[in-house]
Amino acid sequence: MARKLLELSGIGEGRLHLAWVSSAEAQRFVEIVTTVTESVVRQGPFDPGAYPLALKAAEMTLDSEVVRWLAGKEVRITSRGDVYGRSWETERLEKVMDEVLAREYQKNLIYLAIGEGAVSVREISAATGLELMRISYLLTDLEKTNRIEFKGMHDHKPVFGVL
Amino acid sequence: MTVFEPKIVAFLCNWCAYAGADLAGVSRFQYPASIRTVRVMCSGRVDPVFVVQALQRGADGVLVAG
Repeated sequence: MARKLLELSGIGEGRLHLAWVSSAEAQRFVEIVTTVTESVVRQGPFDPGAYPLALKAAEMTLDSEVVRWLAGKEVRITSRGDVYGRSWETERLEKVMDEVLAREYQKNLIYLAIGEGAVSVREISAATGLELMRISYLLTDLEKTNRIEFKGMHDHKPVFGVL
Repeated sequence: MTVFEPKIVAFLCNWCAYAGADLAGVSRFQYPASIRTVRVMCSGRVDPVFVVQALQRGADGVLVAG
């Protein structure tokens, strides 16, 4: 999940490495550390200042109930089936998980952008890189869950504020 | 030109990866000193949020080894 969020936010999954090393594999540990270090050196120093909204949105998304509860259900749904007795393949669940992660991440990104002063849809698009239609669609969600409010029309354009 | 020395936060599970690292040390294997180890009792303890927070707080890379 962390990998998917890093990819979504544009930071790239190259910054995260996962490995399995048993306690007897000292040589392999050395190889892994060397490979990881070389990979990070090639990518250069990571500047969190270049991604302020993205990192915060990623953190909020990974910490949200929706994502954590869905991730917690994965084992049950793919092995014993859902509450209706239907079983689901892992690929299907992963596809749903991907959509949920993307949607929650984009909502958090929009929420943070509005908090930083991007109040119209075009300003939000400039701050987040998301498309106008997608922003409008997700704004409805944020309004329904009382995270943002419609503040009125400004120069014939709707503007929003955080609650 | 000075070579960039990255800061890599490594979450190592006590029973496997950390023990492997310990064995590497005892056997006097040389490896880059860029990793900063955090010993956890199980790699499952590593919340995905830790990865994002590590990057926010100055890490250039994160390794999770179990």
